[in-house]
Amino acid sequence: MMDASIKIILALLISLEISFTTSISLNIALIVCAIIYLLCKRVNWKLMLYSIFLPILPAFGSWSSLYFYGTGDHIHMSFVLLTRIFAYIWIGSCFTFTTDIDKLLKSLEQNFRLPSTFVYGVLAAFNFLPRIAQEVKIIRLAARMRGEILHFYSPQIFFKAILTSLNWSNNLAQAMRSHGFAEGATRTHYHVIKIPIWNWFVALVIFIAVQIFLFMSPFH
Amino acid sequence: MALLTTHNLSIAYQEDATPIITDVNLSINAGTFNLLIGPSGSGKSTLLKAIAGLYPEFGGAITGDIKFQGQSIADLSIIERVKKVALLFQNPSEQFAMTTPFDELVFTLENLQTPPADIEKRALAALEFVGITQFKDQNIQTLSGGEAQKVALAICLAMESDIILLDEPFASVDPEARLDLLQKLQELQQAGRTIIISDHDLAGYADIISTMYTIDGQHVKIVNDPTSYFAKFVTETATYQPVSEPSVFELEAFGFKTGERTLLQPLSLAIAKDKFTLITGPNGVGKSTFFTALTRLKTYSGEVSYLGTDIQKIKLPKYVREVALVFQHAEQQYLKMTVMEEINLSLKHARFPELWTAAKIDATLTVLNMATLKDHVIYQLSGGQKKKLQILLMLIIGTPVLLFDEPLAGLDLASVHVVFDLLTTAAHAQHQTILMISHQLNGVTQYFDHHLLFDNQTLTYEVH
Repeated sequence: MMDASIKIILALLISLEISFTTSISLNIALIVCAIIYLLCKRVNWKLMLYSIFLPILPAFGSWSSLYFYGTGDHIHMSFVLLTRIFAYIWIGSCFTFTTDIDKLLKSLEQNFRLPSTFVYGVLAAFNFLPRIAQEVKIIRLAARMRGEILHFYSPQIFFKAILTSLNWSNNLAQAMRSHGFAEGATRTHYHVIKIPIWNWFVALVIFIAVQIFLFMSPFH
Repeated sequence: MALLTTHNLSIAYQEDATPIITDVNLSINAGTFNLLIGPSGSGKSTLLKAIAGLYPEFGGAITGDIKFQGQSIADLSIIERVKKVALLFQNPSEQFAMTTPFDELVFTLENLQTPPADIEKRALAALEFVGITQFKDQNIQTLSGGEAQKVALAICLAMESDIILLDEPFASVDPEARLDLLQKLQELQQAGRTIIISDHDLAGYADIISTMYTIDGQHVKIVNDPTSYFAKFVTETATYQPVSEPSVFELEAFGFKTGERTLLQPLSLAIAKDKFTLITGPNGVGKSTFFTALTRLKTYSGEVSYLGTDIQKIKLPKYVREVALVFQHAEQQYLKMTVMEEINLSLKHARFPELWTAAKIDATLTVLNMATLKDHVIYQLSGGQKKKLQILLMLIIGTPVLLFDEPLAGLDLASVHVVFDLLTTAAHAQHQTILMISHQLNGVTQYFDHHLLFDNQTLTYEVH
């Protein structure tokens, strides 16, 4: 099991690299590897379908604008862009579909000194997300019962939702404080997340493999 | 020597404002059980939050001193402070940062720099003591009020704080769970912890407490003859009638579930029109869900008819003007910023505007003890004041059927009577039907015509 923070660093590095390279075969190779990885991880096929269909429009849009209206090496570049967008999405999927936010934040906190205030702030915000959707429903109902009709675009919904969130965040801050949370204070960790050496090794091997592939790939 | 002392403590919402409480000189001994009473909005929460060290960081200006064993709280680090004093909040759903009880305990113990090897042991021991081990990995948002407060108590326990402050912890807890929690608190006190608790309902305290304090005006005083207070909280024998004609709702083969769990087995039942019906039952049995089904927020099986028409056949915008829900959390009812803006919004759509003249509104606010709060921001009102305003807003609208979900939580006995006077007068004048879920029954049973008991997946009329 790769550590979440190593995974995100590797995904970002490779994505950054393919932003500057023009190798179609590398992009395709990355997509294929990503699909194989996700299949091995038995990721829900619905999520995988999402990663196939979501990028179609932007990928096709970039492809067609270059293919039909580009100048210079535009035919090659149009296919580079097409494959690059799919590669971004699939590399990203390798990360998001196999990691939960909780593990990522805690690994970043323990291994990369991400401030704990940020970590628990983000975690709490994620925990609140489902409640916000529910709250908006309640706001609209509350308005209806008072004779006011609020549409989804009514500024009053946002006003009230923001007030509610501010109130929650204040209550949450007080709750965290009274449970002993202090900014910048040392904390112990129940689950110590140590990044095993082999994680670094695998990441390095993948990264070098990408470079070698790039160097040897037929279509530069 | 006293464990906790305050020296000329005064607390105001902000600097230069009139203090809410002034010249508090408390001296609380270790291992005592202290009860704090006082009208809604008198400053009980404020005092407890100040002692817990949450002010001035979270609003509120303090003068004077609060000391633990002679050491001022201002000089303690956050970790040292929570090991001395823990606070359990009024609203059970807003005191957790994590999703499950176990994670919240781990989070707390990590904050206190507990050695990782001890964390699990201490967390499990705390859960075990309050008897909620079975919920340890359940989402906190799905716990009932009583269960959530038990989680909060488990956290105070795991922190090993010397003093445990509880701010109206039982506002949404059923009587049985309340007694259970009170007993746990007593065990903790006997083990040497110091308890300071604020509550409106005095039932169950008579044999437990060491000292009773009251907030009178702006001052905190020791009550010398607590017995006279307890006398008002004897359980009265209530009389309830069998359900009467005509009916406002007719339920046919009506039942509902939450997820896979059946809350109500299908049954047929009528609810009387223009009457007051009380609904009681343990925490988590499905009382609030019953109201959400009646307001079509939740799916159900069978049929519900309102004045003879299936409620699914009435257009929703029309239906919600006929049957309205008065939420358990008062803030959810609000749409504006200040008390007067809220009242004006309700007046705009009132069914009987002639009943709610400016003079009538002023008089009502006066009896509710809120006349000076007209321009107050609603979110800064005390728990009890929020409830009183919410009830007034929904009465002004004049909706024919009002479903009240725990409207009395956080209200002192005097406020409860004022609210019921208002409720009975308004409901009579506006021909309203009132259904009310309440755990708080002291002094209110005489206002109800019928009583529905919700337990063991069924609803039954109690008649006696």
